[in-house]
Amino acid sequence: VGKKVQAIYVWWHKPVIDQELLQSLPNLKVIANSGVGMDHLDLKLIASFGVKMANAPRAVSSCTADTGMALLLASARRVVEVHNIAVSPNMEYCEADTLGVKVAGAALGIIGMGNIGYKIALRAKAFEMNILYHNRTRRKAQEEQAVGATYCEKIDSLLQQADFVMVVVSLTPQTRKLIGKRELELMKPTATLINISRGAVVDQEALAVALQTGGIRAAALDVTYPEPLPRDHPLLKLKNVIITPHLGIRTDKATYMITEEAVENILAALNGLPLPNEVLPS
Amino acid sequence: MWYHKPVINEELLQSLPNLKVVASSGVGIDHLDLKLLSSYGVKAANTPYIVSTDTADLGMALMLASSRRIVEGHEMAVSPDTEYFPADWLGAEVSGATLGIVGMGTIGYKVAERAKAFEMKILYHNRNQRNKEEESAVGAVYCKKIDDLLQQSDFVLLAVNLTPQTRKLIGKRELELMKPTAILINISRGLVVDQDALVEALQNKVIKAAALDVTYPEPLPRDHPLLKLKNVIITPHIGSATKKTRWVMMEEMAESIQAGLAGLPVPREVL
Repeated sequence: VGKKVQAIYVWWHKPVIDQELLQSLPNLKVIANSGVGMDHLDLKLIASFGVKMANAPRAVSSCTADTGMALLLASARRVVEVHNIAVSPNMEYCEADTLGVKVAGAALGIIGMGNIGYKIALRAKAFEMNILYHNRTRRKAQEEQAVGATYCEKIDSLLQQADFVMVVVSLTPQTRKLIGKRELELMKPTATLINISRGAVVDQEALAVALQTGGIRAAALDVTYPEPLPRDHPLLKLKNVIITPHLGIRTDKATYMITEEAVENILAALNGLPLPNEVLPS
Repeated sequence: MWYHKPVINEELLQSLPNLKVVASSGVGIDHLDLKLLSSYGVKAANTPYIVSTDTADLGMALMLASSRRIVEGHEMAVSPDTEYFPADWLGAEVSGATLGIVGMGTIGYKVAERAKAFEMKILYHNRNQRNKEEESAVGAVYCKKIDDLLQQSDFVLLAVNLTPQTRKLIGKRELELMKPTAILINISRGLVVDQDALVEALQNKVIKAAALDVTYPEPLPRDHPLLKLKNVIITPHIGSATKKTRWVMMEEMAESIQAGLAGLPVPREVL
């Protein structure tokens, strides 16, 4: 059976691609990933077996940007908390428990202004938000103007000014624990952190402390490390945290499009043609 | 006047001979008997524009929360029983979907401005058609018949005010015209929707889900079926509930009251 396999479509990080598997599949030509993040794959190892890799960047960007906005709004207006109040058997509540944060006129700091980050900026602009961004490279002037975004060369500047901090980077050795104790302390006590990148980009223990001590106002996390979190993790108990089950691309439409993209890449590889979305080990 | 209290009736007005002005929080005035107030020489004022942006934001928040199943997802993520996230757990995409706005006033239009950034196709139904510039600025298509809007929309958002004409605007007939995959969002008034018909439609999968910032009454009785449905998000009438907006509302109400007491023209008077 091993000799027949020419392509693998990795769905939610499975199967695990390791030395053993690669050795058992001598005719493997391509691995296509169901999503854009490649941090779960050992790119150098796979390349060393002469196997090509592809991700699905186009399919995920709008959907993930929507998730970022959904979490920003849900956190700002305390949707989960107030829903629980509205359906609770106990009718007593304090109006102060339902007061949220105004989004219009607030500053959104986007960390990671790739395809997804930029789509978030487009959406946030329509909400009359002021946009700051931090990225490895600066975007073109036209792109900045189209969304009214101001570049922050230093992440500190963004963290100090933003009312909402949205983390949209890919996970690399450089972005691991990008948001730690120091970064959380630079943020406003009224600020909200939204993470739609990877759990490991945030120092979770530092985040729990910041949330408990009023270092920041609230957090909304579509990603954690691990997923799901252990059931006794402090983040699960905090009122000012929304956690969602990595639903960034979990829609019918995105699932379909991701699979279409993967098939496109697989067929290209099997036919010896260039891959539309090849990922090379950097 | 805060959240429709105290109730202004004949008895109260007779007991307050020197009452000059009633300042009501928010934009809705369906709870005020304007003819009655006028007959007692009492002026009424609301706080119309300041609430629009936050209410539009909440409409978008509810649409996104409902389509992507944020409340359910959070419950799964924090539940003591969760061991893993199932691979087939999916929501519905907002980007590129069709949004039907019923009531394209200030709030409805702000919703359209926001929805456009999500590359949504926007349909709207209103007493009057908006002008061409306004329509093309948000890419909105007018539906003279509400039926056309209901049949084509993936999301139906209600942003009308409550009048005798809009009472039970969305009933059994309207819900059956909607797609079975459609989501209803109500940020107007509970009475605009026939709640019993809505419960039935949700239970029988006539529509997919609902997100309601308003109900009738508020709050609902604790044994109401809407509280138990997994595909319903309810928020306790928080359209204007942000610190900044509430602050301005208070300032505006105080300003209207002071003008009324001084015999000056009342800002934001409702006639």
